[in-house]
Amino acid sequence: MRDKKFKLLEVDLSNEKIQTVDVTSEVRRFVGGRSLGAKLLWDRVPPKADPLSAENVLYFGIGPMTGLLGSVTNVSAKSPLTHLRGQSNMNGHFGVEFIYAGYNSGVIFTGKASRPVYLFIKDSQVEIRDASHLSGKSGIETQNLLTEELKKEIDDQNIRVAAIGPAGENMVRNADICHDFYHHAARLGMGTVMGSKKLKAVVVKGTRSPDYAHPDKVLEIMKKWLHAGRLYRIQNRRWGHTQSMSGRYYKTVEGIKNKQKGWDDMCDLFNPVLLEQRYKIWGDACHGCPVACKVPYFMMGPPLGPFAGELRHDNAGGWSANVMIPGYELQGYLCSYVDYLGLDGEDVSGVVAWMMECYEKGLVTKEDLGGIDLTWGNVEAICALLKKIAHREGIGDALADGLKFAPAKIGKGTEKFAITGKGVAITSYEPRGSMKDALELAGTAVGEIHGARGNPDRIMFDSLTGCSFWRSTVQDIYGSIADWAIQGLHATCDWKLSQEDWRLLELRGATMERCYSIREGHYVPERDDVMPERFFQETIYNKYNEPKKLNKEEFLAKRKELYRSYGLKDDGTPSPEFLEQLGLEFAIPVMEETLKS
Amino acid sequence: MSDEKKQPAEEEKNGWGIEKIPYPKGVAYISARWDVCVGCGACEMACSMFHYGTVNRELSRIRIYRYLLPLPKSVQNVCSQCPEKERECQKACPEDPPVIHYDPERQHMVVDEDRCLGSGCGQCRDACPAQVPRFYPPEQDVSMVCDLCEKDGRRRPQCVEICPTQALEFISPKIPHHLERIHPDEKAASLANRLYPLPKGRVIRMPEEIWGGK
Repeated sequence: MRDKKFKLLEVDLSNEKIQTVDVTSEVRRFVGGRSLGAKLLWDRVPPKADPLSAENVLYFGIGPMTGLLGSVTNVSAKSPLTHLRGQSNMNGHFGVEFIYAGYNSGVIFTGKASRPVYLFIKDSQVEIRDASHLSGKSGIETQNLLTEELKKEIDDQNIRVAAIGPAGENMVRNADICHDFYHHAARLGMGTVMGSKKLKAVVVKGTRSPDYAHPDKVLEIMKKWLHAGRLYRIQNRRWGHTQSMSGRYYKTVEGIKNKQKGWDDMCDLFNPVLLEQRYKIWGDACHGCPVACKVPYFMMGPPLGPFAGELRHDNAGGWSANVMIPGYELQGYLCSYVDYLGLDGEDVSGVVAWMMECYEKGLVTKEDLGGIDLTWGNVEAICALLKKIAHREGIGDALADGLKFAPAKIGKGTEKFAITGKGVAITSYEPRGSMKDALELAGTAVGEIHGARGNPDRIMFDSLTGCSFWRSTVQDIYGSIADWAIQGLHATCDWKLSQEDWRLLELRGATMERCYSIREGHYVPERDDVMPERFFQETIYNKYNEPKKLNKEEFLAKRKELYRSYGLKDDGTPSPEFLEQLGLEFAIPVMEETLKS
Repeated sequence: MSDEKKQPAEEEKNGWGIEKIPYPKGVAYISARWDVCVGCGACEMACSMFHYGTVNRELSRIRIYRYLLPLPKSVQNVCSQCPEKERECQKACPEDPPVIHYDPERQHMVVDEDRCLGSGCGQCRDACPAQVPRFYPPEQDVSMVCDLCEKDGRRRPQCVEICPTQALEFISPKIPHHLERIHPDEKAASLANRLYPLPKGRVIRMPEEIWGGK
């Protein structure tokens, strides 16, 4: 069997130059997606670069197994929200299309276009095209317009588009990238970077063979999990991923009223059985997935209807009891409006919750907010504020900078109510209910993002790139993630990996990500891997009146254990010996330099 | 949770699985339930594997079309083995006898590949109201159409067997089966009716339309 080659499409937007680069040797060491993204950032973004400058890169990353467990695309760039390593996953049908187009390591954008453009890819035909007619359009409108426009040209309906909305164009720091209506690479401002490059959309269509090393084995792996997986995940098919919310309120792991409370009676309104029976219209899946956990709803009733959308924990978790929204009707409208504006629903909901608490406490006034009466649960007020943020009008200009920068700009004692870690809003999580969550959220080098924890096995899962909802089920079906990955990499690339090889890949990917964040100088694990003080000082009570609080000593002690399990020193940094063992020697002098200062 | 007790999972369940329903005898075809299709594409993988020993959706005889209505919806497109007088592809073939035709012995459509004029002709595809026959010029520039995965007289449609949502059924005709022959655009438009009265291409009314203001 010949060696499988990995090709990365490189698009220089400043000079409008396009080339294909062979990255096979890097893929052997970093696989793809999230790990390879970290390495590309390390190599290609100069230290301390401004994330919104032409020096930043934007990498749509995939892995050798993309399409076998969902079709996740991992988007990487230096984050404008945190100034650390930025990355976000989106599922759908986008990633695998790159494999069909012949770019099995994805596409990287460098530089900055001088006018609004979109990238068109059809196999070897790659063009930077004018996108001025799409300016100001939402991500969904853009996808529709481009599909209509291009389906005649390529004589096919099946075109995959990822696009940004108005928030991305206006460089709101938590803007998202939208694909296929409800798949969003929303976190850490990936849409903002795309907006800063004046890149409105990426269109990809592939008609080539995916060129698997052992296609029969690929299909065997698929068959096994198509059959087992659909049975394991039957509730996800019925209720989608918003189902977790109801249980999360009962475990006190979901935020309420900007983390001021541990229970509210409105929590029981988030009952997925009602969502399914009243509003669900059909199920929809990503590439290669039998579950179809996307369960779009359609609501007709007044005053907000008719409207449609899709609820998940990720987009809906923040628009719930955390801002005191009672029930699906209002939540559904808000989520669709956030998508229309092109914001990261989770992060911006934390910004809104913060403002609501400040408004309640009198720290910001109606005048500050431009006449908005920002009381808890006021959907009309939330929409008005969101519009200001997306268009950077009035107070929205400061709020659009996210929780790392906005609190200092607003001032007046509002800072301590910003529930954030490393600049990312903590919205859909209430760490007081789970020490494990608290540790894993605090211990990632990218910010407190629940879907992107720093555990090496999760980072590798994002590198392959698999749908993270499936991690536990993969273990049930294949024994372990390693077993699945080793089989899959053999089937797709003819790689023969041992369990030890796999473990080394996991640790290398995780450490690479951490090194990048440390190099940027704003991240000192011991100082930054913490939770807001509220979680250690204020006690909340769950439905059964049981107290919940985090113990700081316990947290710090367990954090050391967590670091050790990642192969790190007790202070969360990698030792030179460890870096050497992982083949990351190039990082040793930079780490020593950065951590000294 | 305190209510939980560790106990091994039940090994086997007895059920009414669709796999227990015997395959039809005589005239039969693949009926697609487009409302149930989730668009995973497993059918395409199984089809290309059976016919060409590879995983490549471009070599599949069943095809998934994905639409933004604007909620995404996928629908399938597969040959419905039309009744004799409705076989538009066969009628349109310029060759004599037609390259694409129904084989009453094997009970499915067949293509005499060595005589097919390929995508340059494409008249069978254009004549089919659902545009079912497909071509893949790089590797298979001949008309590709569903043969129900027949081999040595046994019909075992792989797409039906792999479909995780039972959105494909292998059945004897209960209706004139060419009525299943609907263009994917029209299938999508039909399903979009479920979203009435949403305006085309939109999922919400703007806040200004609801509460006024600029």
